[in-house]
Amino acid sequence: MFSQTIDFIQKIGATFLENIQEMGRMFLFLWDVALSFVTPPFRWTNLLKQIHFIGIRSLFVIALTAIFAGMVLALQGYYTLSRFGSEALLGPAVALSIIRELGPVLSGLMVTGRAGSALTAELGIMRIREQIDALDVMGIPPLKYLITPRVEAGLIIMPLLTVIFDVIGILGGYLVAVRLLGMSSGTYFGGIESAVEMRDIVTGLIKSVSFGLIVTWVCTYKGYYTRRGAEGVSQSTTSAVVMSSVLILVCDYFITSIML
Amino acid sequence: MTGQAIYMDSSLAGGTTLSLGRQLVANGCVTENQLDRALRKQQNDHPTAGNNEHLVGRTLVDLGYISQSALLDCLFSQFSREREAYRADTGETPIIHLKQVVKILDGRRVLDAIDIAIPAKRVTAIIGMSGGGKSVILKHMVGLMRPTQGEVRVGEHLLGALSPRQLAQVRRRFSFLFQGGALFDSLNVYDNVAFPLREKTDWSESVIHDRVMRCLEEVNLFGMERKFPDELSGGMMKRAALARALVTDPEILLLDEPTAGLDPIIENAIHYLICDTYMRTRYTMVIISHAVPEIFRWCHHVIALHKGKVLFSGPSTEIGQSRNPVIRQFISGDIDGPIQVI
Ligand SMILES: Nc1ncnc2c1ncn2[C@@H]1O[C@H](COP(=O)(O)OP(=O)(O)OP(=O)(O)O)[C@@H](O)[C@H]1O
Ligand SMILES: [Mg+2]
Repeated sequence: MFSQTIDFIQKIGATFLENIQEMGRMFLFLWDVALSFVTPPFRWTNLLKQIHFIGIRSLFVIALTAIFAGMVLALQGYYTLSRFGSEALLGPAVALSIIRELGPVLSGLMVTGRAGSALTAELGIMRIREQIDALDVMGIPPLKYLITPRVEAGLIIMPLLTVIFDVIGILGGYLVAVRLLGMSSGTYFGGIESAVEMRDIVTGLIKSVSFGLIVTWVCTYKGYYTRRGAEGVSQSTTSAVVMSSVLILVCDYFITSIML
Repeated sequence: MTGQAIYMDSSLAGGTTLSLGRQLVANGCVTENQLDRALRKQQNDHPTAGNNEHLVGRTLVDLGYISQSALLDCLFSQFSREREAYRADTGETPIIHLKQVVKILDGRRVLDAIDIAIPAKRVTAIIGMSGGGKSVILKHMVGLMRPTQGEVRVGEHLLGALSPRQLAQVRRRFSFLFQGGALFDSLNVYDNVAFPLREKTDWSESVIHDRVMRCLEEVNLFGMERKFPDELSGGMMKRAALARALVTDPEILLLDEPTAGLDPIIENAIHYLICDTYMRTRYTMVIISHAVPEIFRWCHHVIALHKGKVLFSGPSTEIGQSRNPVIRQFISGDIDGPIQVI
């Protein structure tokens, strides 16, 4: 009985230490990536390829999510606002929720699911098939060659995708508010124009850049350090998606609380 | 130690005693006259090619002075003479030296205080049971794995003491053929072979093209250059990976089972190719192989491993006389013996 308790405590301790270690490794990895941003050579074609890969892969799903998110926001918003007789505020309500919250968060989650998981799987397969070792032996630093362009692409592409999400989302709201519920389009857009401030847009963009970093950082890290064959690849892919989704939501809360 | 110094000592290994053409003349395979003509033709055809020695065998074949198989035979018999003359204890410093290396992986002692010395500019074969740690040894030689205890030296560099940049410089002296090939999935065969040249040299695309096509021709993959790795058979994949290893003109070539899983004809062809490459270039080669006892004809030096220890290290001509029961069983492939598998 006593030894069982000790065992249990030991296990908790070991897991805790393991997690601390993992966190340390992740931050070291991020630090190395950050250093590699500023060390030559710069491989522009690689970066463009990754921007294309992450961007194109996620574009359709982001457009789809955005239009429905905008539509449902308008519907719900109308229902709520009409209780207080303030339907005229529907435009700003939709636009602010999308620009400040839903745009960056949902884009981040969609990119995680669509491109992030692919990043992890691709790097994981490269790791278990010794392709990363092959780069290393050729004297080409794998981190600089494989990870840097992916993280840079994430930082560049996320704000762009978020802006696309915002625009399509607001248009989705317009479809419901104006076309379905019969609101005048002047009221919808006019309200948005007067209510949305630069600060809201900047908040959204800061979030999107942070989420771009989180997605590519977590997903490339998990792929890069994959072990144990095909099963290892599926494990790291799952844990990359879960971890970056959770981190996005946690980080969203903190950025919001700072920027309000 | 600066990067400059590393570069300098990598050039130390250049210069072979007798050029390939001279060897062929000395062996009576071609006449002096024919060699002269071949060299002149080569000068015309490839004025930019750096080291003409690499091409002279092919030019002689093109001119019809010697058939391809006769050329290979000639090279092989020359190699055999060298092999028989090879003595292990020449007192030369080894190019790669593992000293008292212990490696513990997942709690298992995979390498148990082994000493391995790879002679420079020779072909060394490493043999041993599957799972015996042969690939692990090769990975130690290029610093992909660090020893738990002990040290690894390449030339006069202690791998553990190098900065990442210096390590990268040392690695440029190597080419590594991974057991699984490690071709890049997203690149076709041509781009895979061209990859190290594009990344490590500032050569123009046309020079790279010439060189890549020559390497693909050497491994008999001409016409396959647009295929992707997943469209190749296992043997083609091995050969493409071999081409990628050969293309950079390394000083040290590490081959992890270049012939495993191939049919006997291709296996033989690859042995000839390795021998041919060695005779032309005098690279230091380390080959892991299960092709026992054939491999003994193709190497100067043999290292036999068992349970993380070195059982034998010496000239390939002497391993046949070894009295060690494990080695005897390994060579004969008997089921009875000290190694119990069933
Ligand atoms: N990265 C690793 N992590 C944990 N254990 C490993 C690792 N690499 C190799 N091992 C273990 O080390 C031992 C030796 O492996 P190695 O790949 O060197 O064998 P090998 O002699 O090359 O065998 P084969 O002839 O089948 O290729 C094996 O028991 C293997 O399980
Ligand atoms: Mg092996």
